[in-house]
Amino acid sequence: MPSLTQTEAIIDAIALEMRRDPRVVYIGQDVGAMGGSLQGTRGLLAEFGPRRIREAPIAESGMVGAAIGAALFGRRPIVEISFGEFIPAAMNQLINQAPNIHYMTGGVARVPLVVRTRVGDGPYGGHPQDYSAWFAHVPGWKVVTPAQPCDARGLMLSAIRDDNPVLFIEAMSLAHAPRGPVATETEACVPIGKARVARTGADVSLVAVGSMVPASLRAADTLAAEGIDVEVIDLRSIQPLDTGCVVASVQRTRRLVTAHEAWVTGGLGAEIVAAVAEACPSALQAPVVRVGTAQVPTPSGKVRAHALPNAERIVEAVRRVCGRS
Amino acid sequence: VVCRELDRALCQANPRWFPIEGEEATVVGSFIDLRTDDAVAPHYRDPFVVYLMRGAEMWRLACQVLGKVGGYNKGRSVPFNGPVELNVVPWVAGDLGTSLGTATGAALAFQQEGSDRVCVCTFGDGTANRGDVHEAINLAACWRLPIVYVCQNNGWAISQAVGDYVAGSIVDRARGYGIPGVCVDGNDVDAVREVVAEAVARARSGLGPSLIEARTWRWRGHWAGDDEGYRDPTLEPHDVEDPLDLYAHRLMERGLADLERLQAIHAEVEAQVSAAMTRAMAQPDTGAAELGLDDVYAACPH
Repeated sequence: MPSLTQTEAIIDAIALEMRRDPRVVYIGQDVGAMGGSLQGTRGLLAEFGPRRIREAPIAESGMVGAAIGAALFGRRPIVEISFGEFIPAAMNQLINQAPNIHYMTGGVARVPLVVRTRVGDGPYGGHPQDYSAWFAHVPGWKVVTPAQPCDARGLMLSAIRDDNPVLFIEAMSLAHAPRGPVATETEACVPIGKARVARTGADVSLVAVGSMVPASLRAADTLAAEGIDVEVIDLRSIQPLDTGCVVASVQRTRRLVTAHEAWVTGGLGAEIVAAVAEACPSALQAPVVRVGTAQVPTPSGKVRAHALPNAERIVEAVRRVCGRS
Repeated sequence: VVCRELDRALCQANPRWFPIEGEEATVVGSFIDLRTDDAVAPHYRDPFVVYLMRGAEMWRLACQVLGKVGGYNKGRSVPFNGPVELNVVPWVAGDLGTSLGTATGAALAFQQEGSDRVCVCTFGDGTANRGDVHEAINLAACWRLPIVYVCQNNGWAISQAVGDYVAGSIVDRARGYGIPGVCVDGNDVDAVREVVAEAVARARSGLGPSLIEARTWRWRGHWAGDDEGYRDPTLEPHDVEDPLDLYAHRLMERGLADLERLQAIHAEVEAQVSAAMTRAMAQPDTGAAELGLDDVYAACPH
């Protein structure tokens, strides 16, 4: 089985679907000759040509709107917003239009659209803001964030084949490393809305997404040496949220920590905690801890490390809920 | 005539409906000559006549404005949304300018499928200032998409007068995009048809988009119940032509219709509208049955 980076796995999925389905068209900035931001579309122009790999003006609203319209009229567009920081420029299309259309047309219109974007800390430090939680709030979106290359490929296949708008969020820090085994010979989709247990454990449920999954696994290794057995859940999807997987885990471990790169306030962790509080309030033996970026606009340069969550902060959080700090 | 009569009935039934009176020639002239496989993206100010051209049923459209069961879209969206199954670009929110983006996407789909279908999109002079308009037209120009943009300039954006918010002229912007821009008398249906036909032919043959500015006049308020306290009657122009009178006189001059025939058309349309309104009013109100908790996502066969 080949060993691919997250980026390579995503490109493999897009290329597979573009070969299989002539309706798939890719739209974005720098997606052609440059090979994409973070080399995210490398090789696609050479194989599919400029008619299907469409270089768009820097106009996020226009290009997302055009992708929605193309989806309504029979195409299956993937539109790339190079970085999550540029999402606000397309917000009318992303919030008022794409997720509403199916419902608002009485269930008639379909919007098979993938919006691909990159968030968080990254290889060259730019554009770190992570606004993913906004899209967990709005009905009509499906939102996925893979944490390992095989899921990145499988979720992208699912996203392109889905008849609804899917926001595909890549954690930039995972773009080029680590590599992981990816079954490139199959068309195996990873279902949207299904979490996975990345590591089983008995003492505490550590629910993570995107870049915080590998950080949580590292934290779990450290904690194992201290005698704390951590279960790590990789959510994979932010909407719909696999609360069943989380609740089942917490019912066994009776302790909960959440970890994501976006902010804590009004965030995904709060939603997880609420789901647990609704489903099994008496299961919790200790107060929960939510780990995320400090409540400041994610800063640049050397200040940033002080704002971001990491394995050490996760370790501290788990120790706290286990009464070891 | 259909446009005006239906609009009057709807305004009477719902003070929140956006009256079209005075602007009918632009609406009709922009869309009447399209094929049914072309996409239409009419402006929100009473686009029903455009949906009727595609085969929508009048009583069902009336249901949308009255909040009755039987309308398209299950009563969930803004009432001016049309039936998407008739190649109508949907209106699902009241945010202006986004419709130009989705309409441009319809044109992208037609170019991708290699057909000669086109999209015609109308928008208001108020909408013209949204950044979305610039983004969409520039994108369409870069990609030579088969679309025609028609600005239905009625002089007003709710309570603001056009001179206060459009610096320069809308049609002149076409030059900046490197596309044809034509200004036309929006009260003359033949004139509108002629310039739109030329732009549509150009789009069909793969030569890309055009921008048309149809100058017309909003006779009434932004909504039917608008008291228009912001309008100074002494400043209203006195030479605004009634597009229906203009066309009626032309038909008679050319011997294509006489007064009797025109009166018969009016009577026929009045009866049609009245029947549609009666049927719509007899329908039950929309409510919990249309909430559709399971209708947010499309089921995926994959």
